Amino acid sequence: MLFSVKSSFAVLQDTTAKSVNRIPGIITGKVIDENNRPLKGAAIVVKGTSIVIESDIAGLFEIKANPGAILIIKYPGHYIAEVKVKDDKDLTIKLLDTHIQSPDKVDVLYDKIDQSAQLGSVATIYTNQLTTTPASLYLYALPGQLPGLYAQQVSGFSAVQTAPQTSNGLFTNVVTSHNVAPNDNSEINLKIRGQKAITIIDGVQREISSIDPESIESVSVLKDGLSTILLGINSSKGILLVTTKRPTIGAPRISFTAETGIQQSLGLPTPLPAYQYAYLYNEALQNDGKAPIYTTADFNAFKNHTDPTGHPDVNWFKTILNDYSPLTSYKLNVNGGTQVARYTISLNYMDQGGIFKTASAVPYNTNNDLNRYVINSDLSVDVTPKFKVDLQLFGRIQQGTEPGGGYGNILQTLYSLPNNAYPVYNPNGSFGGTSFYTNNLLAQSENSGYIQTNNHDVLANLDLNYNMSSFLKGLSFRAKGNLSIESQTVLNRSLQNQSYLYTAKDSSYAAVGNTVSQSNNFATVTSARYAFAQGALNYARSFGKNNVNAMLLADYRSVVLTFDLPQITNDRAFKVGYNYDGKYFIEGAVNNSGYNRYPPGHQFGIFYAGGIGWQMGKESFIKDNLTWIDSWKWRADYAKTGNANIDSYGYYGYEQTYSGVYSAYPQGTSRSRGAGLIADSLANPNIRWENAHKIDIGTDISLFKNHLRVTADYYHDKYYDLLQVRGNSIALLGTPYTVENLGINLYKGGELTLTYSNNLGNFNYFITGNASIESSKVVYSDEEPSPYPWIRHTGQPVTAIYGYTALGFFQNAQDAAHSATTVGYTPQPGDIKYKDLNNDGVINQFDLSPIAGTKPLIYFGTTIGFNYKGFSFSAILQGVTNRQISIADNAYSGFIGAGQFGTQYVGQGYDVLNSRWTPETASSALLPRLSLGNLNNTSLSSFDIKSGNYLRLKNAEIGYSLPQEFCRKLKLVGIRVFANGENLLTLSGFKGQDPEVYYGDPLNYNPYPIQRVFNAGVTIKL
Amino acid sequence: MSNYKNIFWVALILLACSIGACKKYEQFPVDKQTRSLVFDKYDSLGTNAYAYLTSMYGVLRDGHNVVGSDYLDAASDDAVSSAEGPTDAVTILSTASYNSFTLPVNENIWSGSQSYWAGIRMANEFVNNIGVVPVQQTYNGYSMKYEWKSEARFLRAYFYFELVKRFGGVPLLGNKVYTINDNISLPRNSFDDCIKYIISECDAIKDSLLTNPIISPNAYYGRATKGAAMALKARVLLYAASPLFNGGNIDGANPLTGYTNADPSRWAQAAQAAKDVIGLNSFALDSSFTDVFLTQNNSEIIFIRQGDNGNAVESANGPVGFPGAKGLGRTSPTQDLVDAFPMNNGLPISDPASGYDPNNPYVNRDPRLSYTVLYNGAQWLNTQLQTYEGGQSKPNTGQQQTLTSYYMRKFMGNFENANSYGAHNEDWVILRYAEVLLDYAEAENETLPAPSGEIYNAIVALRKRAGISAGTDGMYGLKPGLRQADMRTVIHNERRVELAFEESRYFDIRRWKIAETVMNQPRKGETIIQSGSATTYNVTNVLTTKFTQPKMYLYPIPYDEVLKNPNMKQNPGW
Repeated sequence: MLFSVKSSFAVLQDTTAKSVNRIPGIITGKVIDENNRPLKGAAIVVKGTSIVIESDIAGLFEIKANPGAILIIKYPGHYIAEVKVKDDKDLTIKLLDTHIQSPDKVDVLYDKIDQSAQLGSVATIYTNQLTTTPASLYLYALPGQLPGLYAQQVSGFSAVQTAPQTSNGLFTNVVTSHNVAPNDNSEINLKIRGQKAITIIDGVQREISSIDPESIESVSVLKDGLSTILLGINSSKGILLVTTKRPTIGAPRISFTAETGIQQSLGLPTPLPAYQYAYLYNEALQNDGKAPIYTTADFNAFKNHTDPTGHPDVNWFKTILNDYSPLTSYKLNVNGGTQVARYTISLNYMDQGGIFKTASAVPYNTNNDLNRYVINSDLSVDVTPKFKVDLQLFGRIQQGTEPGGGYGNILQTLYSLPNNAYPVYNPNGSFGGTSFYTNNLLAQSENSGYIQTNNHDVLANLDLNYNMSSFLKGLSFRAKGNLSIESQTVLNRSLQNQSYLYTAKDSSYAAVGNTVSQSNNFATVTSARYAFAQGALNYARSFGKNNVNAMLLADYRSVVLTFDLPQITNDRAFKVGYNYDGKYFIEGAVNNSGYNRYPPGHQFGIFYAGGIGWQMGKESFIKDNLTWIDSWKWRADYAKTGNANIDSYGYYGYEQTYSGVYSAYPQGTSRSRGAGLIADSLANPNIRWENAHKIDIGTDISLFKNHLRVTADYYHDKYYDLLQVRGNSIALLGTPYTVENLGINLYKGGELTLTYSNNLGNFNYFITGNASIESSKVVYSDEEPSPYPWIRHTGQPVTAIYGYTALGFFQNAQDAAHSATTVGYTPQPGDIKYKDLNNDGVINQFDLSPIAGTKPLIYFGTTIGFNYKGFSFSAILQGVTNRQISIADNAYSGFIGAGQFGTQYVGQGYDVLNSRWTPETASSALLPRLSLGNLNNTSLSSFDIKSGNYLRLKNAEIGYSLPQEFCRKLKLVGIRVFANGENLLTLSGFKGQDPEVYYGDPLNYNPYPIQRVFNAGVTIKL
Repeated sequence: MSNYKNIFWVALILLACSIGACKKYEQFPVDKQTRSLVFDKYDSLGTNAYAYLTSMYGVLRDGHNVVGSDYLDAASDDAVSSAEGPTDAVTILSTASYNSFTLPVNENIWSGSQSYWAGIRMANEFVNNIGVVPVQQTYNGYSMKYEWKSEARFLRAYFYFELVKRFGGVPLLGNKVYTINDNISLPRNSFDDCIKYIISECDAIKDSLLTNPIISPNAYYGRATKGAAMALKARVLLYAASPLFNGGNIDGANPLTGYTNADPSRWAQAAQAAKDVIGLNSFALDSSFTDVFLTQNNSEIIFIRQGDNGNAVESANGPVGFPGAKGLGRTSPTQDLVDAFPMNNGLPISDPASGYDPNNPYVNRDPRLSYTVLYNGAQWLNTQLQTYEGGQSKPNTGQQQTLTSYYMRKFMGNFENANSYGAHNEDWVILRYAEVLLDYAEAENETLPAPSGEIYNAIVALRKRAGISAGTDGMYGLKPGLRQADMRTVIHNERRVELAFEESRYFDIRRWKIAETVMNQPRKGETIIQSGSATTYNVTNVLTTKFTQPKMYLYPIPYDEVLKNPNMKQNPGW
C-alpha cells in the first residue's frame, strides 16, 4: 500500500448538459465516478490560480472561472482530469479509478486499520491490478506484483484429483487416514519469504483460488510476525489476505464483462524426426556395445515416408495436441444499497479448454475442460445504527473433464513416445500399436471416454457488529461465524480400445493390448467441512493526542476432511496498540493458541509479538526543513510464532499405533492368509509445533507530494524446533526414527518497492517496481557426523541441491582410464567426468556437494502504465535471477524410458540430442555420448543444473473507455473494450523449453505446458 | 434497543459455547490400534497378538531370487548371475566391489529396509507384552501364549544368528524395546556372548514349542517347533566351531570377530546338538530329492519360510527360449558346481575309476545333478535342452541368457514332461533334516581321530536317498577307512551338492576359510559347440571373482552406523 499512487488523471468531458441562467464567470459542474455516482469532496482547481473548491454531496460544484480556463479535478484514488471550460455548458466530469490504489484504510488480519498506523510488512494490490490477467485463477495475477511473494508456476492446467483420497482396503476395513485438504490451486506455488502461504479470505482461512478477480477488492501479503500473530499456532506462515468487495451505498452499479481468449502452449520440446531418431538410437546402442537395430533401408523409409505403416514418422505432439485452445469468461457484478441495507452480487462463469484434439465422431467432449460458476453475494444490514449484520454467501459449481486415459498419463506417454513407435492408423483404419505399445496414444486421447470431476462448494459468513459505545465509549463487539462445505466427486466413463499390429508381409492384424468397455464409476473424492467462529471486543479511543486501540479475541476453527477426526484450532488473543499524535507507535499482541492434533496436555502454546513505529516525517526537523518529504515512517517488529505442521508427518503420530496387514504371512499348509499386525512408524510422544523468531525492520517514505513512494523492508526469520529425523538414527532401534523438533533454519532478506506516478495534463502515468531478495541458511541440522565438510547441510542454504561436480567430458581413453569414476563403471570418452572431492579415486557419496541453489533468490517485477482520455495501458514485467533448475538427465540428454523390454527398445529423443558428444564434435558437445541407461552419465551433477533465470512480459493490457456521450446514447453508464495477454514474451537462460514449466522437472516430470493467452473483451456498465 | 442487547448477549453465549471444549469427538481415531488393542487384556483368543506374531514371521526372508533377484549362492563359487553388468547385487558381492557403504541392500540386514533389527524389535515387543493377554487356549497345560512367546524368541534367536554369521558379534538388546527417548549407542557384544545367548535361548524355549510332527498342519505348519530350535542350535554351534571363528579368528584377539582361542571341544558340542535332533526321531529324509522342496510338511522339513503356490522360480530362473513357458534364466550354475557332483556310482569325476567321460559329461552322474542343474541335452518341458552356442536356450541374441551353458533346476517343479509351468509349492526351506545329518557328520568327524560308522551312515543315507547306486559293497561310492581329512573333503563336497542354492555354500566357504582360495579364481562355464552330431565342450571363464582376505570373511558394519554410534566398532579391514 506504500507503493501506490493517489494521483493521476483521466476524464471524459460531457458537453451535453443544458445551460440554465448562466452567471458569467461562474462555472457549474458535477464530478462523478466510473459508475456515474457523485463524488463528494473532489478538489477542483483552476489551473494557474489558487482557486480551489470542493464538490458537494451530489458531486456538484460552482467555481469562478472564465471560458478557456482549465480546471484540474482531483479525487483520491482517481486519475486527475483537466477540463477546458466552455462558455455555455455545465460540466460533467467523470474520474476513472487509478490502476494502483493507495487508500487510507488498509486490510490487516481480522481488521481494517489506518495505513499510517501500520507497523507490519504488508504489500497490497487492488482490483485493477488483478483484472488485467486472463486466467482461471486470480493467483495468476500475483507474480511480480507483490514483493516478498514468490510465485512459481508448475503446471498449465488444474490437476484435479480423480481418485478418492482414501479407500477401504479390498478385504479389510483398514483405511488410510490423513486426508489432504482440497485445494483448487495445483498450478502456482506460492511462498512468502520462503514459507508456504495461508490464504485468508474475508477473515476466514479458505484455500480457494478461483474467485473472480473483479469481485476482489484487494490481495495483500502479510509477511511479518506481528501481522500474522493472531493465527497463533499457525502464525509462522505468511498470509495471503484476500478481501472481496463490500457493498457501498448508492444506486445499483451493474457491471458486465464478457471476454474470450486463446491459449497457446509454450515451451514444448521438439521431437526428433524418425530417421534422425533411428540414427541416434543406433549410435546409442553401438556406444553401449550392442548391435544397431535400424538399417540404412530403415533410415530411408523413415526419411522419405515411403512406408508409413512399417516405418511410421508421427509427430505425436501435432497429432494429439491443438495449437490453440479457448478461454472464456463472463462476469456480472451488482453493487448498491441504502443506508439501511447494502448488497453485492457477483456472478462468474469461466470455461477453460484444454490442449487435446477431439474426434468429430465422438459425441462428447474428451478434451480437458474446466468450467465453473461462482456466485458471491454479500448483504449488509444496519439493524440499528449500532448493530450491523453482514451475510456473505459464496457458492461454486465446477466441472472438469479430461480424456479417459487421464491427461497426466497421456502427457507422460506423449513425452516418451518415439515418432517411429507405431502408425496412428493401420491401413484398415484400426489403431496402430505394437506388442510393447499396446494402447494407441490417439485412441487414449480422443477415443477413451472421459473422466469428469464435479466440485460443489458453499461457504457462508455471518458477521455481527455491535457498537457498545453507550456502555463504554469506543467499545464495540463483533462476531463472525462461518460454515463451509467443499465436496468433489468423480465420474469415470473411460474405456480402452484395442490396438493392432499390422504386418505387411502377410497383411495380418494382430490384436495387442486389450479392450476395456466404457465404465461408469462414481466416487466421492473429497468432502470437507469447515467451521469457524470468532468473537472480539474492540476498543478504540483517543484522549487528546493519545490514541489507544485494543482487541480481545477468541476463535475456533474446525476442519473435517472426509472421514478424519476434526482438526480443531483455538486462539485466545489480546492485542493492544498505542500511538502519540500519530508520531510514536507501539503495539503488542499475545496469543494462547492450540491445536488438537498434539498430545493431550501439550496442545496449547503462547505466541507473542510486538512492534514500534516512528513517523519521522512529522518531526519538525523534517516538516519545517525538508518539505519535499511528505511522510517518512520507520517501523520494526518482532514475533515468536508457531507452525502446527504435525499433520504433515502422519496422523496422530504421537502415540504408537499398529496397522493390520492383510496377507501378512501364509499360515499352515492351507496357506491361509490370515490377518497380520505391524507397528506403524515410530511414535514421537514429545512432538510439538515448530517455532520461529521473526524480526522485520522497514520504512515507508512518501516524497514530492506523494508522487514517489518507497517502501523497504529487511527481515530476519529464524525458524527453530523444525521437525526432522535425527542424524544419529541408529539402526539398532529396529524401526526408522521419526521426526523430532530439532532443526534451525534462518531466512533473511529484503524487499524494496518504488512507485512513481504523475500526470501531464490528462496523461496520467505510473511506474512501480519491486524487488525481493531471499537467502536461507541451515543453522542447525542434526546430521550424522561426516568426515567431509562439503557433504554437510549445516551452514548451507536450505535450498541447496547436492550432487557431483561435473568437469566436462572425458575426451580420450587415457583421460577416462586415469580418472576417478563411479563404482563399477568403466568410463569411456564422451562420458561425464566428475570431480573427486575427497581424492579417493572413486566417485561416490563422499563427492556430493552443493551444486545449485546456494545463491540468494532474487525476484522482481515492474508495472508500467498510463491512461489518456479513456485509453489505458499497463504491462507487467516479471523476472527471477539466481534461480537454478535441475532437469532429469535422460529427459534432456537421452532417450526417455530407455531400456530393454524383451527385444523392444523404447524412449523418445528430442532435438537437443544433436549436440551430443561424438569424437568429431568432442570440443563443441553439450551432452555426453548417447547411451541407453548409463549409470555414470545419469547421476545428478552440476551438469544437470541449468539456469532458471528469466524475464517475462507477464501481462499487458490495452483498453479504451468509450466517450461518455456515446454511452449515454446507448443508455449505458460506460463501455470499455480491452485486449490483454499473459506470458507474452520470455527471455530465459534455459533454451528450448519454458523455464518454469518444463519437461523433465524432477518435481513435475510430465507437465501440462504453460499457456500464453491472448484475450479480448468488453465491460459494460449499467 | 434493549432487545438488540439481548440478542447480542445470546449470540455471545452461543459463541462462547462453540469455542469452549464441548466434547463431541473422540480424542484419538478409532481406526488406529494402540498397543493395548494389540495386546488386549480382555481378549481370551489373543487374535491381535497372534496376528502380530504372524507378521513377525514375515520378516524371515524368502531366499528365492532375493539378493537383487539372484540367489545368494550366485555370489559363491556355485553360480553367477546371468544379469550382465557390474551393478548386479551378487556380482558386487562376488567381485568384492562393495564397501561399508555399498553393501547390497538385501545382504545389508543391519540397516535399511531389510534390517533384521526390525524383527528383533518386533520379537521384543511381543515378549514384553504378551503376558497381559489372557489366552485361553492351552498347550501342554499352559496358556498357548507361552508357546507363542517361545516362537517369538525362536525368531529372535534366528535373526541374531543371521546377523552374527555375517557381521560377527552384534549388540545384544535383551528384551528392551528402545524408544525415541533412549540412548541406543550400544557397543557390540562379543561373538562368544552372542553364541551363548542364541544357544541359551534355543535351550530355554525348545520344550515349550510345538513338537514335530506338527499338530493341525493345516493351520500350524510353518511355525517354529522344538525341532527347529534344536536344529538351529546345531547349526549355530557348527558355525561357531568352524575355523573362521574357532581358531581362525581373522583378528586374533578381537572377541567381536570370533573366539579368541581355539577349542576343539566346540565341535563336540555341535555334534551333540545335531545328534540330539537326530535323536528326536521326528524327522526323516524324504524319499525323493525334489519332493523335499515341492511337498509341504514332508518328513524332512524342519523350518521354512512360507512361500506361495506358484511358479515364480521358473519365471525367474527357467531356461530362456521356451515361448510357452517364460523363463528369464537368471541363475547360471558354474562348471565347478557341476563337477562337484559325483558319478552315479558315488565316485568323484576325478577318480579314474568313476567312468566319467569328458565328451559326454552328464551321463551316469549323481541324480542330484539333474535335479539341481539343467545342462545341455537335459530333458525339460518335453524337450532336450539346447544350451550349445546358438541353441534354443542360448541364442546369443543379446537378451539375458545363461553365461555358463547351465540353468538352475533346483526348487523347480517336475516339468521334464510338461509343456508349461504349473503352480507348485515354493516354500523357502531354512532348516531340513539332510542338513542336520551333514552338520552331525562334519562336527563329529572333527572330534574323532578317524571317522566313525555313524559318520559314514549319515553320508550314506543322503546318497541313498539321492539315488546313487549302492555298489557291491553297499558303500555308495564311499571308500572304507577314510582318514579324517579325506572324510572332511567328502563331507564338504556332499554338503555342497546336497545344499546347493540353499544359502549354505556362501557361508560354508567362509566358515571353512576357503573363500580366499575358491573366490580368487575365475568362475567357469562351458562353451558347447554343436557341429553336426559332434558336440565339443570347452571350459571358459565367465566372471573373475575376487575375495579380499581377511576382511571379507565378515561384512562391514554399515558405514553410517559406525559414524553415528561412537561405541560401534567396525570389523577389521573396513
